[in-house]
Amino acid sequence: MKVFNKKGFVALAAIALLAAACGGSTSGKTLTIGISLPLSGSALASAGPAQKGAELAVKDATVDGYTLVVKVLDHAVNGAHNPAQAAADMTTLVGDETVVAVVGPFNSGSAKAQIPVSSEAGLLQCSPSNTNPDLTKGDAGATLRGGRPVNYIRVATTDDIQGPAVAAYAFAQGKKAVYVVDDTEVYGKGIADAFAAKFADLGGTVLGRDAADPKTTDFTAIVAKAAAAKPDSVFYGGVTSSGAGLFRKAMIQAGLNVPLYGGDGIQDGNGEGSYIAIAGDAAMDSFSSVAAIHDIPAAADFAAKYKAAYGEDPGSYSASGYACAQVIIEAIKVAAKAGAVTREGVRDAAVKAGVTYSTVLGDLGFDENGDTTQKVISLYKVEGGDWVFDSQIDYAQQ
Amino acid sequence: MAEKAGVVSVRTERAPSRLLLPLVVVAFLAAMLAWLGLTQFLNALTLGAVYALIALGYTMVYGIIELINFAHGDVFMVGTFVSMFVSGTLLKEKNGIEDISALVFGLVLVFVITIAVMAVIGALIERFAYRPLRKAPKLAPLITAIGVSFILQNAVQYFFGPLTYNVPQIFPVTWAFMVGETRVPLLNLFVISVAAVLMFVLQLFISRTRTGRAMRTTAMDRDASSLMGVDINRTIMITFLIGSGLAGAAGVIHGLYYGNTNFTIGFASGLKAFTAAVLGGIGNTAGAALGGFLIAFVEVGAVVLGFSRWGGAVVFSLLVIFLVFRPTGLLGSSTGDRA
Repeated sequence: MKVFNKKGFVALAAIALLAAACGGSTSGKTLTIGISLPLSGSALASAGPAQKGAELAVKDATVDGYTLVVKVLDHAVNGAHNPAQAAADMTTLVGDETVVAVVGPFNSGSAKAQIPVSSEAGLLQCSPSNTNPDLTKGDAGATLRGGRPVNYIRVATTDDIQGPAVAAYAFAQGKKAVYVVDDTEVYGKGIADAFAAKFADLGGTVLGRDAADPKTTDFTAIVAKAAAAKPDSVFYGGVTSSGAGLFRKAMIQAGLNVPLYGGDGIQDGNGEGSYIAIAGDAAMDSFSSVAAIHDIPAAADFAAKYKAAYGEDPGSYSASGYACAQVIIEAIKVAAKAGAVTREGVRDAAVKAGVTYSTVLGDLGFDENGDTTQKVISLYKVEGGDWVFDSQIDYAQQ
Repeated sequence: MAEKAGVVSVRTERAPSRLLLPLVVVAFLAAMLAWLGLTQFLNALTLGAVYALIALGYTMVYGIIELINFAHGDVFMVGTFVSMFVSGTLLKEKNGIEDISALVFGLVLVFVITIAVMAVIGALIERFAYRPLRKAPKLAPLITAIGVSFILQNAVQYFFGPLTYNVPQIFPVTWAFMVGETRVPLLNLFVISVAAVLMFVLQLFISRTRTGRAMRTTAMDRDASSLMGVDINRTIMITFLIGSGLAGAAGVIHGLYYGNTNFTIGFASGLKAFTAAVLGGIGNTAGAALGGFLIAFVEVGAVVLGFSRWGGAVVFSLLVIFLVFRPTGLLGSSTGDRA
């Protein structure tokens, strides 16, 4: 019986392999959109909604003559995004000939590891949430993609806008003396630097800068040092999985009862494992931003559609994941019209100058670096145990 | 007879350091208090208490079977989850029990159950993972230890989940008194005292009891001890019981003090505690405790000096310096015979 099953399995596998091989050469072929995000452990709370958004967009769309499928790879290791695994996953996606574009990654540190791989393959990649400016802009961006054409685009705006936006927000709330702490990672340090520079420009004082190991659970020494400087607010550059919630808890435990400001890394809802859940009562008086539009044009429609599909409300980056997939599908359609759908065709269609995409986030395009032209920062505060939308600022208008 | 002779010789060899050591430690603590200020001093002592309790398990196991038990950091991690389960799920405790008798009851129960459970888990690990390999080449148990580490992590992930969870901080974090301008939380003093008492009892146990003596002789020469009638298997198992129990105590303290846990915390804490054990002189229990506190002071000192971004690098540079210039650590390796 056992032997029979094994044989049956082998036969089935052979048929599947044959089918896959044939599928590659026929014209009504399958196009795969890769989804490369950290989807387990602490990272799931923030990246999961982006995955669901992207899958929903693929489900909603059709491209004549092609079948669209998704291939989801999780690069979280031990509950947090892992750049080495992200690069390995990108290599896997590059190796799959049916993959024409990828949604992801979620964290800037992982993007830094993936872009060299995807750019070499000419594979279009759209991140719903990366905000580190060095991924795309200037010499750093050009070096990262090895001088090759832009293949990496993103629908979130960058930390050189987000960090200063939070600084302006804090300053407008009367904060004059801030203590800045980051988690030593690409995203955390970048946004903390941008915040500190703008806060000083506005006339505020940055009392000190410290950084905490992203794997530590002990923030007492840094908090005590910050408390000794007597700040009226603290900025934390980092994400929940590197200790934002623990840091906030340590602040209140040590009696440092001042507001905490952070970027989108701490705005991950209030579910299990989120910043608010970990910090508990200490989450009070926290403020954060999201590098994306909050008042999306058809918010109610999108929320209803999302809820119908998944039985839950959209997360901070659900619409961004959806928009990434929309841009990719539009690019596939353009490439399909021009002839065969190739990776280069999709990439060139997506990053073509002057094209405006009508997405769930509103109308947006991409500049010569692949950064979105929609530069909106949304600001949130903790009220009643959840993030409550406060205001949004459109930096494209300014 | 032979056992007695061994003990006497150990004592005479250690006599000079017995006079010198307390003086050096007191002078070091005084200097640190003066430099860091009371708040950071207490932070360092509390962090050091956690490291020291974990480091004891590393050093005891190394002392007796020369195995670097890489799973020990994860034993500590499991301890944090057991304490969370006991205080949160079984006893339904919340943060900050203000009623003294209820608090004492809760604390005793959490400590006793967690230490007991972890001691049993430690002994089981020894029985099933390490004992079958006792005669195998040294690399085999080392690799097994890494395997056990993964098993513990995955088991916790399976039973509790992969997120960061809140552990009830049943000792009220708001209780504090003022020394001048400085707020001194009672929680820190409580944690430091618990660790100090446990370490003192351990020292007494090792130096004054028959079982402790058996542990020391087994560390010196396993075959000779066996010939003298020491039950080697039982002695090694007791070493694991005690080491893992102490890691369990460290887990309870971690929960009370930081109020959270995650299945990955064993690696970083374990590595620091292992470094502490090496700094102190691996195999030497007093050295491991000192090493734990030393590492905590180095970490806090790095933050105070503005090197927080390189805190880990500072600690591990210290490890490298010690390995190069004083490989036997602060107090010398092992339990006495190799001092």
